[in-house]
Amino acid sequence: MAAPLEKRIILADYGKPDSHTLSVYEAGGGYSALKKALISEKDKWTPDAIINEVKASNLRGRGGAGFPTGLKWSFVPRNTGKPTYVVCNADESEPGTFKDRVILEDLPHSIIEGMILAGLALESGQGYIYLRGEFYKGWQRVDAAIQEAYAKGYLGENILGSGKTFHLATYRGAGAYICGEETALLESLEGRRGHPRLKPPFPAVKGLYGSPTTVNNVETFAAIPHIINNGGDWFKKLGIGNEKSGGTKLFSVSGHVMKPGVYEVPMGISLIDFINETAGGIRPGKELKAVIPGGSSTPVMTRQEAMRAKLDYESMAEIGTFLGSGGMIVLDSSTDMVQLTKRLADFYAHESCGQCTPCREGSKWIADIIDRLIDGNAVEEDLTTLLSFTKNMGNGTTICPFADANVMGVVPIVEKFYDEFLYYLEKGKSGEGK
Amino acid sequence: MRAVENYTFSAKAEERFKKLETQFPERESLVLWALHLVQEDAGYIPPSAISYVAERVGVSRSHVQGVISFYAMFHDKPMGKFHLQVCVNASCWLAGSDELEKTIENHLRIRPGETTPDGLFTYNRQGECLASCGTAPVVQVNADYHESMTPQKLETLIEQLKRNS
Ligand SMILES: Cc1cc2nc3c(=O)[nH]c(=O)nc-3n(C[C@H](O)[C@H](O)[C@H](O)COP(=O)(O)O)c2cc1C
Ligand code: SF4
Ligand code: FES
Repeated sequence: MAAPLEKRIILADYGKPDSHTLSVYEAGGGYSALKKALISEKDKWTPDAIINEVKASNLRGRGGAGFPTGLKWSFVPRNTGKPTYVVCNADESEPGTFKDRVILEDLPHSIIEGMILAGLALESGQGYIYLRGEFYKGWQRVDAAIQEAYAKGYLGENILGSGKTFHLATYRGAGAYICGEETALLESLEGRRGHPRLKPPFPAVKGLYGSPTTVNNVETFAAIPHIINNGGDWFKKLGIGNEKSGGTKLFSVSGHVMKPGVYEVPMGISLIDFINETAGGIRPGKELKAVIPGGSSTPVMTRQEAMRAKLDYESMAEIGTFLGSGGMIVLDSSTDMVQLTKRLADFYAHESCGQCTPCREGSKWIADIIDRLIDGNAVEEDLTTLLSFTKNMGNGTTICPFADANVMGVVPIVEKFYDEFLYYLEKGKSGEGK
Repeated sequence: MRAVENYTFSAKAEERFKKLETQFPERESLVLWALHLVQEDAGYIPPSAISYVAERVGVSRSHVQGVISFYAMFHDKPMGKFHLQVCVNASCWLAGSDELEKTIENHLRIRPGETTPDGLFTYNRQGECLASCGTAPVVQVNADYHESMTPQKLETLIEQLKRNS
């Protein structure tokens, strides 16, 4: 059942019994886009036509960075003599984000159909789905769906008699947040430690096994069949704000709302309406204090900022934050922002892969300073030091954007809620500590 | 549990490994998969499995060792029969994960990283968000998620696991 303001496209079957099975997916129109592209409209759907339709949809990567998917696919060279790979990033581990898990566990065939269509667009015969190791149930569901798709002739050699081939296999990570970064993911998929690669070259040109590769998010692939079925223009116009942010988007909302969960809404709706209507509002007797809009690495918004925000890429950027993965954490007046920062700072300190000094050391320093503050051992200089060295942690000084993600996640909390950090300093001085 | 002295794949793992060998053009990719298979067999990665995996995949022992040490889910020491992991990231903390940590420490008398003397439970704090924030707080027990947990439900679960072991 859809919640207020929801428009369910990708989530149309979510909540139905056995939504993860082939028969329920087919009953809802599943694999009809593939049949169009391969059989009934096969002359129309050349690789370029698929890419152009995706471009026209203004679908932007749902993994967090929001890069236009059609454009990304157009960078993948064809006829290089090497195989091309289609890789699905199902590592979902950005704190606050839990939308991909719903698709993996309950709607796995939509990912498979989207990946086969991507394979047709990029003339690729092989795809891999890389799932974080903790997703055991998700992996079982995806694996079973792949077996079903092979048995029905949607995967393998000569798909539905079309002469096209696409193979698909799963890979399991083993507990490392950094493997969500696409080049770390590829290293991991090649059987090594998940150390991000220096770019360029980008995966489009030199990705898995040194071959042209596209890495896309779970939700990105799940949107593709709908775009082929209904057209790029239709998808683009699902958004109600500006057309640059096309389609509907999944948001996972947690924290101090009455109805946490995963919801699909048109791009461009007001954030506060989403919180109050779709997610059931703030707990009674409490007030909205702040919102982390798109996963822990997106700058926190104050109540005032949240009141005027719209859920699309451009409006978020205007406010100085990001739509990110759509992993929203809503905080009410009871939230201790220093303790919240500790949870995030500890996480980043633990998950830095350690290749770059600014990130490896900086992440530890941030966590140490927050710890000292909470233990009552900090001086005010510690906070100014934190605000100063974090300026040198990212900004191109590191191999991957993890360091930037850490800084964007932590520093705006310190800056926007500085009083609360000063309060801990005072408590520390008075010997009250914690 | 599989013998760990001279580890070799169980019949089931062997079958899965043979299929995996056909799915990846470069054998190095099999390292993580092989380690997952070992851990499903033995509950952890015994020392003898390191040479075994290196040989079966065709990489050096140090490569395998490097992979084990990088990934949090690979354990090079035996674990309790039930591995309890409490997510302590932001949304779970907002939803009361502190209380779950106390429940485990009071109930099982172990601290993070420790195993109960009877070998039944190992407890860890999980700093990585488990993508269950909408049903926080969450405790992972081996491969299973237990969502929307309360101290009460956790106590009941622990008692159940004790009884069924
Ligand atoms: C530290 C870090 C972690 C990331 N984690 C994820 C993730 O868990 N899932 C994901 O889809 N993208 C993640 N990304 C983004 C990927 O690098 C990549 O941009 C994305 O998979 C591309 O897919 P899209 O274009 O469909 O969004 C992460 C990036 C960074 C820097
Ligand atoms: S920025 Fe951090 S996570 Fe990224 S490569 Fe450097 S050390 Fe590793
Ligand atoms: S914070 Fe615990 S599951 Fe996300």
